[in-house]
Amino acid sequence: MTAIQESIQKRAAELLESGEVTQVIAWTNGRFTNQTSPLFIQNAADAGKIVFNEYCVNTLAKYVLNEKIAGKVGVCVRGCEARGINRMIADNQLKREEVYLLGIPCEGMKDRETGEALDKCLTCTHKNPVVYDELLGAEVTDTVSEEIDKVRFAQIEAIEGMSREERLEYFNNVFNSCIRCYACREVCPVCTCRECFVDQLRAGWQGKQNNLNENRFYNLIRVFHIGDRCVECGECARACPMGLPLMELNRKWIRDLDELFAAGEEGLSDELDNTLGRYKTDDIEEFM
Amino acid sequence: MSRVGVFVCHCGSNIAGTVDVEHVAEEAAKLPNVAYATTNKYMCSDPGQQAVREAIIEHNLDRIVIASCSPRMHEATFRKMLAGTDINPYMLEIANVREQCSWVHKDKDVGTPKAIDLVKMAVAKVNYDAPLTTTTIPVNKRALIIGGGIAGMQAALDIADAGYPVTIVEKESSLGGRMVMLDKTFPTMDCSACICTPKMTDVGAHPNITIKTLAEVESVGGYIGNFEVTVREKAKYVDYDTCTGCSLCETKCPSKVDSEFDQGLAKRRAIYRPFAQAVPAKPTIDAKNCRKLIDGKCGVCEKVCPVGSIKFDDEDKVTTEVYGAIIVAIGYQLIDWTKIYGEYGGGRFKDVISGLQFERLVNASGPTEGHILRPSDNTEPKTVVIVKCVGSRDPEKAKSYCSRACCMYAAKHAHQYLDKVKDARCYIFYMDIRTPGKGYDEFYMNTQHDGARYIRGRVSKIINQNGKLICKGEDTLLGSQVTVEADMVVLETAMVPADEANQIGSMLGITRDKDLWLSEAHPKLRPVETNSGGIYLAGTCQGPKDIPDSVAQASAAAMKVAILFSKDELESNAMIANSNKNLCNGCGACVAICPYGAITLEEITARENSVMVTREISKVNPGLCQGCGACTVACRPGAMDLRGFTDEQIMREVAALCQW
Repeated sequence: MTAIQESIQKRAAELLESGEVTQVIAWTNGRFTNQTSPLFIQNAADAGKIVFNEYCVNTLAKYVLNEKIAGKVGVCVRGCEARGINRMIADNQLKREEVYLLGIPCEGMKDRETGEALDKCLTCTHKNPVVYDELLGAEVTDTVSEEIDKVRFAQIEAIEGMSREERLEYFNNVFNSCIRCYACREVCPVCTCRECFVDQLRAGWQGKQNNLNENRFYNLIRVFHIGDRCVECGECARACPMGLPLMELNRKWIRDLDELFAAGEEGLSDELDNTLGRYKTDDIEEFM
Repeated sequence: MSRVGVFVCHCGSNIAGTVDVEHVAEEAAKLPNVAYATTNKYMCSDPGQQAVREAIIEHNLDRIVIASCSPRMHEATFRKMLAGTDINPYMLEIANVREQCSWVHKDKDVGTPKAIDLVKMAVAKVNYDAPLTTTTIPVNKRALIIGGGIAGMQAALDIADAGYPVTIVEKESSLGGRMVMLDKTFPTMDCSACICTPKMTDVGAHPNITIKTLAEVESVGGYIGNFEVTVREKAKYVDYDTCTGCSLCETKCPSKVDSEFDQGLAKRRAIYRPFAQAVPAKPTIDAKNCRKLIDGKCGVCEKVCPVGSIKFDDEDKVTTEVYGAIIVAIGYQLIDWTKIYGEYGGGRFKDVISGLQFERLVNASGPTEGHILRPSDNTEPKTVVIVKCVGSRDPEKAKSYCSRACCMYAAKHAHQYLDKVKDARCYIFYMDIRTPGKGYDEFYMNTQHDGARYIRGRVSKIINQNGKLICKGEDTLLGSQVTVEADMVVLETAMVPADEANQIGSMLGITRDKDLWLSEAHPKLRPVETNSGGIYLAGTCQGPKDIPDSVAQASAAAMKVAILFSKDELESNAMIANSNKNLCNGCGACVAICPYGAITLEEITARENSVMVTREISKVNPGLCQGCGACTVACRPGAMDLRGFTDEQIMREVAALCQW
């Protein structure tokens, strides 16, 4: 990891020096022990602030959207960030030439408080970046997909095993705790609307009250808007200050779409797969 | 503050029978912004419309709600009425209190509150109506007809006679379709070829008609008045410009294969015309069976051709042209009974034949020159069993519908058989006899006088024993089992849609019913139109029918095209999608989902949050957009809105419904 940190520092400085990029997005030490925060540097002299250790929990992909206006952005990409970058390119929010990708193979991060492996990293299917301009460090081996899938879908299966009443109670508990801070939306590389439906007051999709009904509506519509495009970076659940299991409904969609339409994983290429939005003459039409 | 007028229609007793319309009007008058509410016996009638017009002036209304039948029925009527007033025709909402209310409920206790709810929703929505305007789009006065059977030919001739250019795309190498395969036509017994082939010649000779044979429509883009159609004409390997149709090549070709035209009862060559009167009267080479094209040996046709028309290096020709209207006349095929009816031998018994095979057997230019002979041993069958409804009216095994023509052609087959074979016996197993039509029932009675014996019941099993076909069945009128020793069995099989129906339906945006027949826009009032503007249906592709009905429908479709072509410009749809550029993030989901190719992404540069940014947004082509609304639901940012059905309007409707 130290080697990777040095490589990032070195390459960030070189990229900024040469004017290849106007800015580099990486991580730096936070205020607390074992805590890091995203770092945005414009000068080569600041490259020394870059940190890469096992507590770099933030997924950086979404930051690119705001920063690209000033010029080409250099950004560190692990598996999760790379898929987010692909996602945003496929959704026409970003052009590949607007970013310079410093690829980083990643064995997974740790929770600052427990020191255990981070939840979102337990279900990681791509430890190496799926797209990059240069790779800093040797590729690591992905966990066998059958093994990962057991963990990825364990909670879905548990929920599917519940009775209707149990399921309702389970989700009511989850949604009751939601404070609708929209942190999940802010970090999500799929949530790239200019004005989120919750903020469209004139149409009035979402009420402003914080109660179970409105919270349920928000969380369900969130899944409807992102479920078929989710790249499983798990950043929503990590960013949630209430610690809600926000990936569960996404994963239900991911698995159903894969079973019904062989949708596969999202974010592996920068082409729009558009499972739910495409129309083909040979589509199954069993319901017609 | 808007001033809404609510007009509740009795529709005679259609609505008033199960909805207390007076109470609905009273309740409507209490709704916010409603300035006036009343009822009328028939709102769509002239006096009804006049009453609305007067109320608009008297109460200074600026938008109206009509609580009546489905908007599909009379929305256009009331828009037209509003066009004669100061109100924009789109400041109108129809509350459907007939189809969705009075017709589905039995008493006023249920019907009335629901009608009030429907009116509430319409009032909530009309408050957010905005005046809409239309633009005009040009019309290309050229018609495309897919399918060159009797329906396609009739439509082509009618349109061409009206003075417009027509192109027929036919997948086989000749026009004629199924009709030209038939021997005689019921009930007049005129020879099918004698009435069909002159039409083929007329089509071939008409200066306004272009024929593309061995051709398929590959793709269709565009919209009413402006369809861009790509057609692939398969390689014919014969130069039609120089070929004289002398047919010398056909006599010399050494490859013999089963003739599709003769239903496999005779052979044809690899270079062939399907039948002598084919139009165009020129041969094509069947590449799958031509020795020269398979392994490069032979080429006899090239040697004997006196004008050097054979082109072994011929290639498919793909052309893209613009048409203003499309008529789909792709016809039908017969159900493949061999896969379904194992009890009839499943195709193993040579003498169990289909009705169409019988047509070829009895035809003077067919394989037996009109002598009815058993395919197995070429002897004359003395007893024939005709089984009706093979595949039709059999929801368990095949199709649930009635194929309509079989009762008549079964009677015709019996009549022809009894006429040609002396001392013959003919048994017809039937479920019901359905002979509505001019001269049809008389024809059926005549067949009975000829000696045909009708047995009411299905054949349950056919056994092949010593050259006889033992048909076992039940006579349900006698309530006893019957066994007939037949020499030949004719199965009157069901009509099913052509293989291409689903693919062509998808390509042209025509809905298909559960059996894949192409659906008309309205079963009664718009029987030849489809839900896609500028696309019409003719003949059996829409559902089973006989020749007179196919021809009538073809002429009707042709008339619709002529009406379309009588104008130079069309009015575009006002209720189309509209993208809000502030909300659009250019994700392109709408572009991918639009079935009409009406949406494109466009780059804009604008100052946003004090910074100049260049980004892409979606743009709707008003000529192409049909207002289907697919984009509005695909649009996650909610930027895409359908004029007349905005998100805001629908939310208000929902809110009105959910008040308690």
